[in-house]
Amino acid sequence: MDRWFLIFATVLAVVAGARGLLVLRHGQKSHWTVWWMIGVMLCQIGYLGIRGEMRGACPLRSIAEISVFLAWSLTLFYLLVGPVYRISLLGVFTAPLVALFQGFALLPGKLDPTPEKVMNTTAWGETHSAMSVLAYGALALAAVAGVMFLVLDRQLKEHHLKSGLFRFLPPVRELLVSLERLLWLGMVLLTIGLIAGIMMPHETAGAWKHVFVASGVWAAYVALMVVKRVRGITGRRFALGAVVLFVLSLGVFAFV
Amino acid sequence: MELVCLGVNHKTAPVEVRERFAVGMNRLGEASQNLLEMAGAPEGVVVSTCNRTEFYLAAESASETFSKLEKGLAEKVHGHEEPFYRLEKKDAARHLCKVVSGLDSMLLGETEIFGQVKQAYHAAHAAGATGPVLNKLFQKVFSVGKKVRTQTRIQEGSTSIGNVAVELAEKIFGHLKDSEVMVLGAGEMSRLTAQALVSRGAKSIIVANRTHDRAIELAEEMKGRAVRFDDWLGVLKNVDVVISSTGAPHTIIHKEEIESVRRARKYRPLFLIDIAVPRDIDHAVGEIEEVYLYDIDALEQLAEEAKARRVNQILECEKIIELELLKIVK
Repeated sequence: MDRWFLIFATVLAVVAGARGLLVLRHGQKSHWTVWWMIGVMLCQIGYLGIRGEMRGACPLRSIAEISVFLAWSLTLFYLLVGPVYRISLLGVFTAPLVALFQGFALLPGKLDPTPEKVMNTTAWGETHSAMSVLAYGALALAAVAGVMFLVLDRQLKEHHLKSGLFRFLPPVRELLVSLERLLWLGMVLLTIGLIAGIMMPHETAGAWKHVFVASGVWAAYVALMVVKRVRGITGRRFALGAVVLFVLSLGVFAFV
Repeated sequence: MELVCLGVNHKTAPVEVRERFAVGMNRLGEASQNLLEMAGAPEGVVVSTCNRTEFYLAAESASETFSKLEKGLAEKVHGHEEPFYRLEKKDAARHLCKVVSGLDSMLLGETEIFGQVKQAYHAAHAAGATGPVLNKLFQKVFSVGKKVRTQTRIQEGSTSIGNVAVELAEKIFGHLKDSEVMVLGAGEMSRLTAQALVSRGAKSIIVANRTHDRAIELAEEMKGRAVRFDDWLGVLKNVDVVISSTGAPHTIIHKEEIESVRRARKYRPLFLIDIAVPRDIDHAVGEIEEVYLYDIDALEQLAEEAKARRVNQILECEKIIELELLKIVK
């Protein structure tokens, strides 16, 4: 049943992205994206509820589970941030990423149909997992806003202003403000996750390696934010930084 | 009861004729009452804008109404050949639909006309000059106008340089209330562009001109402040939009100058509008990452593209109007 919820969520995300792009191509606003994404969220909650019950803990024990949790976190932040900042187009950019993360989890052999119950959970361990993945949701959305900025920046620089996409992209300044706020939010959550990660019991050297790499990611984000605040940075480099750091940081989950 | 329309507009009469027919907004009701007397008709509305004056009437006989109107207006057309167009029944209703949709405007798709016709109708209604025929007609026509504007792209894009500049500035900065604008050169073009930005809420205007007195004059007009021309770089730190339109025979803004203030500006986006010929801003300035540089050709091209897009929408608009006319005139 958990798999079916995930399949539905992925189909809805694909529909949200594809329909949004189609509507944009016709030069109209994608009013329905937010509703499709609410549907995605409801299916994700269904999946997480069942999977959490099966695990007896937060379902973050395999790369596929982490991937789905990340997709949920991304959807959550989109629904919180998108409508508030009137960035409806953010959904059209977010939906494909959500579909990608969930599609990865749906690959054959990735999601164990009968997952083992987790017996030895600790509060620090659970906090570390949940906060880190939530942080990555915010940072992923910041990366999405970064991509939107890069697209708009290129169109404005090269005077290519005819596309439907250009008409509905939010202004440069608004995108940069959203990007910065999302990075701050991600940073706060990541800091909590990292502290919890240091405090949790470490039985293997691999666990410390994970914390060490996560600290590196955290430091890189801090550096980006400090440069932005203190010295200033061009919008293009700031957006590119958010995108590159997010892609690199995914490696922490994937390989370490 | 027959619907008739007699009018003059920018296509049929020069401004010296149109101005004789012009009616101020506050006198539209009274003008509608006078129209009824002149035409001997029970219902009438006078629509008057800078490009047109039109008389809409519901009358027993169209030909009789036209001749009475022409007789009454003969004095105003004295010395000019036939400035009127005469439309009846469905043609008159179709014309009114086109007028409120902006299809008959000098600036295709402009939005102001919709409000102006509405005001004219309300004034006539308040003066008791309308009845069941015109009330029904105007209400239906307003909904057709709304439909045309929402279901087509007839009002999309900016068709003047000033508005293109505003649209781009809003695409970069969002609300302009937090944006500072600097004007280099106090010529007419820069004044118009700056005015367009101010009308959209730009926070403040700084004017620099070789003749400082002219800068002060323009700054006062815009409720901004003037700086000496040699000091423009010093105030660039807080500026978001620069409009340059000096008469200099060579470029006055170079890459090195903008680069010297980047750090102080914390690399914030900077929108440079160069409407001078020869150009004021060195093309290389556009290579700076956070700078968006548009010269007069780029702005004109964008305005032309918007106009072309609007022209492409005419058929679409006319289709909607024809379909709706079937419901209005049975």
